[in-house]
Amino acid sequence: MLGTLRGWRETLLVVAALLATLQLGSLVVPKYILPDVPAIAQAAREVLVSDARDIAATLLRLTEGVAAAFALGSLLGVAMGAVPAVARYARPLLNIMMAVPALNWILFAILWFGSAEVRVFFVVVVISLPFYALNVYEGIRGVPADLVEAVEAFRPTRTQAIRILLLPHTVPYIIMTTRSVLGYAIRITIFAELIGTAIGIGARLNAAQSQFRIDAVFAWTAVLVVINFVLQAAVERLDRRLLRWRPEQALR
Amino acid sequence: MTPVEHAPTPRRRQDREPRPEPDAVVLHDVWRAWGGAVAVAGLTFALRPGEIAACVGVTGAGKSTALRMVMGAIVPDRGEIRVLGHDPARDFGLLRGKIAPVFQTDRLLPWRTALENAALGLEILGVPAEERRRRAQAWLERLGLTAAASKLPHELSGGMRQRVSLARAFALDPQLLLLDEAFSHLDEVTAAGVRADFLSLARPLGTTCLLVTHSVAEAVEVADRILVFGRPARVVAEVRVAAPVRADPVAQDRVRREVLAHLQGAMAG
Repeated sequence: MLGTLRGWRETLLVVAALLATLQLGSLVVPKYILPDVPAIAQAAREVLVSDARDIAATLLRLTEGVAAAFALGSLLGVAMGAVPAVARYARPLLNIMMAVPALNWILFAILWFGSAEVRVFFVVVVISLPFYALNVYEGIRGVPADLVEAVEAFRPTRTQAIRILLLPHTVPYIIMTTRSVLGYAIRITIFAELIGTAIGIGARLNAAQSQFRIDAVFAWTAVLVVINFVLQAAVERLDRRLLRWRPEQALR
Repeated sequence: MTPVEHAPTPRRRQDREPRPEPDAVVLHDVWRAWGGAVAVAGLTFALRPGEIAACVGVTGAGKSTALRMVMGAIVPDRGEIRVLGHDPARDFGLLRGKIAPVFQTDRLLPWRTALENAALGLEILGVPAEERRRRAQAWLERLGLTAAASKLPHELSGGMRQRVSLARAFALDPQLLLLDEAFSHLDEVTAAGVRADFLSLARPLGTTCLLVTHSVAEAVEVADRILVFGRPARVVAEVRVAAPVRADPVAQDRVRREVLAHLQGAMAG
C-alpha cells in the first residue's frame, strides 16, 4: 500500500499496468464503454475542481459516521467487558445488526429519515458500530490474567482499572477495527449517497451514470481509491505512533 | 546506592514502641480447595512488623495460593486472615497503598515506560502526577535504572524489568511487600544482583516481607525466618535465620540442610 511505503514500487507498477490495459482496451472497444486515459484524466481534473464540495461532503459524512461508531461502539464494548450481563444481551443484538444487509439499512434510512445527512450518518453508524463494540469487547476479554492480577494487587477502583489497564489494551483492537471499517464505510457512504442524497461523491456518480459519462465514473473511482489509500496511510501512521510499545514480530 | 532526596523515611525495627505492635500478617487455620483438591490445609502463621519471612515448599505445595490469599486475590474457604489489621479480600480499598506485590515475571504494562510503570501504585493511590513522577524516578535511580526511565518494557533486559517491578513496589513505601518467586525467573547471576538490591532496600526500610520461593538457598540468604510448607500447604517447620548466619556461608549451608531435611520429612510424611 502506498501509505505504508512498503511495496510502493509494486503498487506503482500495478497502477501503470492498469492504465496501460485501459488505454489499450479503449483502442478496441467503444469510448462509452472504456474511455482512454487522457479523457479520464481530464474528467478527474474537472471533478476535483468543480465538485470539491461533493468530495468534502462525503469525507465529512464518513468522518462523522465512523467517529460516532467508534465512540458509541467502544463505549458499548467496554460496558460489555466490564459488565457480563451487558455482554450477554449486546452480543446477540450486535450479531443481528451485522446480519442485516447494508442495502436493507439504507432502505430503512430512506423510509425513516427525511434528511439526507441523517440517512447517511445512520447507515454508517449502524453498520460500523458492531465491529467496534465486538472488537473492543474481545480486546478486554483478551487482557492477560497476570496483568489483571498485577494491577488489581495495587487495589485500584473499578474506574482506575478500566483507565489504566482495559482502555490501553483495547487500542490495538480499535486501530485494527478502524483499518478494516474505513474501506467498508467508504463503500457504504457512497452507496447511501447514490440512493438517498443530492450532494456527495455517490450523488455525483449517480449523475455521471444517468448522463452516460463513463469517463467521470472512472475519474470518481480513481478519486475514491486515492481517498482510501490516504485514509489507510493515516491509520497506519496512527498505528505506528500509538503502538510503538509492541515489538515487531516476524517469522524468519 | 545513591542517596535519594524523596525516599521515604526508614521505619527502623529497633525503634519499635515499648508496647508490642500487632502482627503485620496473621493466618489462622486457613483452608482452601481447588475443584475438590485441598491446596491449603489449616495454614497458621504470623509475621512480626519488619520481619522478612520466606515460605518454602515443593512445587504444587500451595505457596502461591497462600500468598494470593494474603494479597486478597483469593478468599479462603475457612479460617481467618488479617493483614495490617484488615481482611485483605473484604477490606480491599482500606489496604490501598499498604501492600505491594512483586511477581515471578515483571508484569509491567507493556505500553508504559519504566517510569510510568514504577509510578503505577502511586497513581492508584492518587498521588499528584508531578510528585509520583519524582518519587518513581528516585526509586529507578536507586535501582540503577536512571537511563531506562523512558524505555518501554520490551526495550529492557529481564533483570532490568524485574528491577522496575521492584521500584514499582518500593515507590509505594508499602508496609507489606509480597514476593512470589520474584527472583526465580532470572538467571543466577542476575537473580543474585536483583536479590541484593531488594535486601539493600527492604532491610534498612524495615518493610515486612513475605516471600514465596522454591529455592531453599534463596530463603536462607534473604529471610529472618523460614516457614517450611508441606503439601497441601501448612507450616510443618519453622527455621530462624539469625543475621550472623546469613553472613556465613558455612552456617548458611547448615541451615539449608536443616530446611531440606524438613522438606524431605514433610514429603515422606
